[in-house]
Amino acid sequence: MTLQKKHKALTIFYGLLIIIVFLSLASAIGYLFRITGFPETNIVIMYLLAVLLIARYTKGYFYGMFASIISIFAYNYFFTEPYYTFNVNDPSYMVTFVVMSVTALLTSTLTSHVKKNAIEAQEREAETKALYRLTNHLTDATDLHDIAGIATNIISDVMDCNAACLCFDENELPEKTFVQQVSPEKLISRDVINMEDIKHNIDGLKSGFCVETEFYDWLIYGRDNKLGIIRIPIERAVLMTDTQKKLLRAMIESTALAMDRLRSVQQRIKYREETIQERYRGNLLRAISHDLRTPLSGIMGTSEMLMDMTKNSDPRYNLAKEIYNDVNWLQSLVENILSLTRLQDGKLALNKQPEAVEEVVGGAVHHIAQRSSEQEITIDIPKELLLVPMDAKLIEQVLINLIDNAIKHTPLGDEISITVIKNKKAKCAVFIVADRGEGISDEDLPNIFKMFYTSSAKHADAKPGIGLGLAICYDIVNAHGGNIEAHNRSDGKGAEFIFTLPMEVTDNE
Amino acid sequence: MSNFGERILVVEDDTQIRNFICYSLHAEGYQYIAEKTAQGALNSLVSEQIDLMLLDLGLPDLDGMDVIKKVREWSEMPIIVVSARDQDKEKVSALDIGADDYLTKPFSATELLARIRVALRHLYKQGGNKQQTSYQIGNLKIELDKHLVFLDNAELHMTPMEYNLLALLFKNAGKVLTTSYIIKEIWGVGYGNDTQALRTLMAGLRRKIEKDPAKPRYIMTEIGVGYRLMDE
Repeated sequence: MTLQKKHKALTIFYGLLIIIVFLSLASAIGYLFRITGFPETNIVIMYLLAVLLIARYTKGYFYGMFASIISIFAYNYFFTEPYYTFNVNDPSYMVTFVVMSVTALLTSTLTSHVKKNAIEAQEREAETKALYRLTNHLTDATDLHDIAGIATNIISDVMDCNAACLCFDENELPEKTFVQQVSPEKLISRDVINMEDIKHNIDGLKSGFCVETEFYDWLIYGRDNKLGIIRIPIERAVLMTDTQKKLLRAMIESTALAMDRLRSVQQRIKYREETIQERYRGNLLRAISHDLRTPLSGIMGTSEMLMDMTKNSDPRYNLAKEIYNDVNWLQSLVENILSLTRLQDGKLALNKQPEAVEEVVGGAVHHIAQRSSEQEITIDIPKELLLVPMDAKLIEQVLINLIDNAIKHTPLGDEISITVIKNKKAKCAVFIVADRGEGISDEDLPNIFKMFYTSSAKHADAKPGIGLGLAICYDIVNAHGGNIEAHNRSDGKGAEFIFTLPMEVTDNE
Repeated sequence: MSNFGERILVVEDDTQIRNFICYSLHAEGYQYIAEKTAQGALNSLVSEQIDLMLLDLGLPDLDGMDVIKKVREWSEMPIIVVSARDQDKEKVSALDIGADDYLTKPFSATELLARIRVALRHLYKQGGNKQQTSYQIGNLKIELDKHLVFLDNAELHMTPMEYNLLALLFKNAGKVLTTSYIIKEIWGVGYGNDTQALRTLMAGLRRKIEKDPAKPRYIMTEIGVGYRLMDE
């Protein structure tokens, strides 16, 4: 801060010097007039001229007004009888003093005012020019460091200093190096030494800037994250006027805008690449699954044939049966992969029609009963007909997957239930598939709908799942504009899966 | 073996599935002719006496649909289409242009034989006793000449629409009827494809004949396709 004080003292000293010089000059000329016998009015005019010039060459109103008052006293002292005293013989001089002081005050304030306006206009123009230059250059930038370089260059030029810029990465952490302008043509890259300090200071930043050992740091703040800092050397920063600070802020604002734009473009490109990769992966999966399907049907049929040819007591019967079971499992896996890839591609257009809930639930249960007829499933649905817009085939798949899952985790003979409730308030139908299995562990709960997630807690004889069934449920229900959740039951052990389907047809799919 | 050695034409390009089907048919006492291509199938249809055709929809040379259309130009023989699981649309249009039933891969021998039995029974009904006036399945009985329906020997009151629907299902017992076919038969051609009306009508009918509409004993829903009245 001492620099700032020194600067201020210097300005005051300079102002006072101007007052002394001009008023002395005016007094000297007045003295010449007196001895040559010029009329006294000329002397008054000389003082007024001096005040005007003082106002012109100093900053602010203070010096002009101060000079006006001094000039009255000087005139009184040097040029009214009795000379070299502050007394006046002729009372009519009082009028002269009053008129003179008013005129002097008015001229000084007017001049200062005009000058101030002129300076402001100049500053505004410079500001506009600088901003225009900055934005103009920023549009050419192709990456974040380009922008940093351009901003550093132009800010250095406008502020007449060696400004610097430190970019932040995507996680709002400072990079290891920053760029600094060392000459109008040259940018250098410097290592960040006090990384921790910077991080700390930026986090606690409330006002416009924070002070480092070498720089004043201004934060470049984007739409919703920190993008970097602009660094102005301390010796320059302390001399900055309010207008310059304003200009700097405006320039940082433009820089932030450019960085934001670039970031979002990069984000978009990244997303697009990810989507393309996702699609390739989906296509590959689909192609493989498709080609697997036909031979699987064949193997399934053949193993059935073998079972048919052998007696139940024959060990070959069991071998054939094992082949059949494995193929059956593989087959449903392949079908699930196919459904999923089609869903995620968005290729699977929803064929939404009002469907009777009882039919869909009944269809799913019937499907399950064909495969595992031993397991009893209780159904509780509203007495009156409930029509819900849905793609029946897909919702049936959701129910089948959920029931399959329930059967896998529930000992034979324990309760598995499907309940459907109409929620009038939320205008949706609520489907609940509940079981009496071992429930869902806390670590599985948040991940249970993720693709390829399989429970870590596995019982030894369980068929290995590859975590597709529930992921498909999630995708299908979401595509319908509904929600799916998994809970542990509050009334004893077991898990329940709840999904909702909106009752009203929406056109946004 | 309760059949008369009917001749069944098997059109399937995958060797394993074809072998499996043929073996199952043979074990059940049916005669069969196996073809790999649609063209071969059409040739056999002309030169041989065929009672029923099993047709795979994904043939290498000709679209299965075209085969159905061609056959329907001169023959009413039962056609059962075999399709993959994601061929729902093809399945429904095959049923709409004249196929009698469908099987979705993978299917079991039991399923295959059951479908064949139903289709053949239909063939005989059509050929022989065309004027059958009363049908009974389980405890459900319908008398077409008197417009009466009985459940457990008690008469059921039905609206005319419900009666028409039930009668239609009975006449096609065991066979899957597509939604659009039922709508056309009940409401007429000009009605369009309003499935909601059919769902509502079906719900009403089920509440009268089924103990638990969500676990139907008589009318099964084939989701995405239509309805089937169970007859075994």
